[in-house]
Amino acid sequence: MGFCLMEGNEAIAWGAIDSGCRFFAGYPITPATTIFNTMLKLLPPLGGICLQGEDEIASIGYCLGASMGGLKAMTATSGPGISLYSEHISFAIGSEIPIVIVDVQRLGPSTGSATRGADGDIQFLRWGNSGGLPVIVLAPVDVSDCYLLTIKAFNLAEEFRCPVFIASNKEIAMTRENLNMDAVDVPKIIERISPPTGKPFIPFEVPLESRIPYFLPIGGDVIVRQTSSTHGADGYITTDSDEIARVQDRLKTKLTSKVKRFSFHESFLEKDADTLLLTYGITARAARDVYQVCKSSESPISLLILKTLWPVPEELIKEKAKHVQRVVVVEMNLGQYVREIERILPDKTIDFLGQMDGRLISPNQILEALAHG
Amino acid sequence: MAKTYKKPEALSDQHTHYCPGCTHGVIHRLVAEVIDELGIRGRTVGIAPVGCAVLAYNYFTFDFQEAAHGRAPAVATGIKRVRPDLIVFTYQGDGDLASIGMGEIIHAANRGEKFTTIFVNNTVYGMTGGQMAPTTLPGQRTTTSPAGRDVEDVGMPFKIAELISGLQTPAYISRQTVLKPKYIVRGKKAIKKAFQYQMEGRCFSLVEFVSTCPTNWGMTPVESIQWAEENMLPYYQLGEFKTPE
Repeated sequence: MGFCLMEGNEAIAWGAIDSGCRFFAGYPITPATTIFNTMLKLLPPLGGICLQGEDEIASIGYCLGASMGGLKAMTATSGPGISLYSEHISFAIGSEIPIVIVDVQRLGPSTGSATRGADGDIQFLRWGNSGGLPVIVLAPVDVSDCYLLTIKAFNLAEEFRCPVFIASNKEIAMTRENLNMDAVDVPKIIERISPPTGKPFIPFEVPLESRIPYFLPIGGDVIVRQTSSTHGADGYITTDSDEIARVQDRLKTKLTSKVKRFSFHESFLEKDADTLLLTYGITARAARDVYQVCKSSESPISLLILKTLWPVPEELIKEKAKHVQRVVVVEMNLGQYVREIERILPDKTIDFLGQMDGRLISPNQILEALAHG
Repeated sequence: MAKTYKKPEALSDQHTHYCPGCTHGVIHRLVAEVIDELGIRGRTVGIAPVGCAVLAYNYFTFDFQEAAHGRAPAVATGIKRVRPDLIVFTYQGDGDLASIGMGEIIHAANRGEKFTTIFVNNTVYGMTGGQMAPTTLPGQRTTTSPAGRDVEDVGMPFKIAELISGLQTPAYISRQTVLKPKYIVRGKKAIKKAFQYQMEGRCFSLVEFVSTCPTNWGMTPVESIQWAEENMLPYYQLGEFKTPE
């Protein structure tokens, strides 16, 4: 589409379309609604399906059915809706159903402030499933990221057969910016891998050298039995502890062992810096300004902007923090991702700047935190 | 000697986990017979509920998708919208459909989703230990209504077939039972009609089955059939509540 002016939500919809997403279902909620509106405009002409559910639980339920029917599917909501998605997120993890879930975060808790931004769902996205198995969460910084990370989210969901979240924020979602789609380095689109023919289909059997079962849609020539109940490779419920443990371990390590491959980030490292500023999402934009200001001062800093939040890109963080004594974590909540940084970097001084009042964190606030801790 | 009574192809060889006297087995068989007779086994997808029938996929020889508790109509919506060529049905109990999943079933029915629901109403939560359901009869004892359902406290039981018949869009709504052979024949006819209407592309269809749960009712299978006839049939009247015009 070339050069255009669009908001983050529209860019997410375009990213979904360009990923081959042909099914969207959602329930009205601010500030995610314009994703629905855009999908409603874009999907039907392509033969895709766009549905309004009676609530969030049903909306994501349609998506899971559609995904099992063979279409790439996406849904979008905000905090109150993510709460309701929880059971189906667990379901998708347990039955390994690919789906992209957009959380346009707004200030919580609960109904909170519908038109004010926050990054308050960051731990909830990770842990909001029963069983506590990992998910993938990507965090865009700007409109361009909204487009690109959505494409990457679809690729990851399809490849790893799991829910992948876009942790957006009202401030990115509803800000219009220039976007040159043609200039975005779009990755190759990944599709589900069908099992080889000539062998009986075993729904959760894992090919050699892989932790991801082949996918067959429901309703095809080969019988597919699909369940989230604790099952073995054959898809039947099992009580064999060893087999249960193997499946649980696989559901975990299929993501954690590959996070290096999708540790999306931006980093700006200064040789003499003794402080690393670490952030994500909309706050990264203030942090970029701060990095520039410090670069021309007597005390330059390094900057790491994470775009993959979960699974935590631990190696990346350790590598980027290797030469600094101090890490300052800035996020639009009262202290969520900082817990991960404290866990990963026990030998560093970790300082934190958080804010949860509906306002963006300003470069001046970050400068002050850098100066005074 | 020729076999005159065979197991339907749509049923597997597996023994079911259902309790003695439970009506799920008969209803499973009726669904399977209809699928065989209509020749649609290759393109049928069942959606299993949470509850006793969560294991239904063990017993049928076609595709089955489990759904979260009460959400079978939502998952069925996604599958049928994506693959309108498939014959899709949900198989749900009274807790799953009429309590936690009431929103999903009413809205799917009202949207006129082109799938079929087999609704097994035995007035209790079976799998979890006989708790009161939205269809528990007045005065009926359950583990969560030990003194009997108090309608002053929790209201009268839902009549699902009548409730959904009040909507304009659904094509076919029927209430049947399998308590006696004559009922079984009628019940099978209703299932067949529901699937046929779906094959014709008509909107939502539902067949409710007045069923028993001897284990949680604390009765023998024979007693439970008697009890259901005497107590359930007067309240849950059999018949066709809605047919296509």
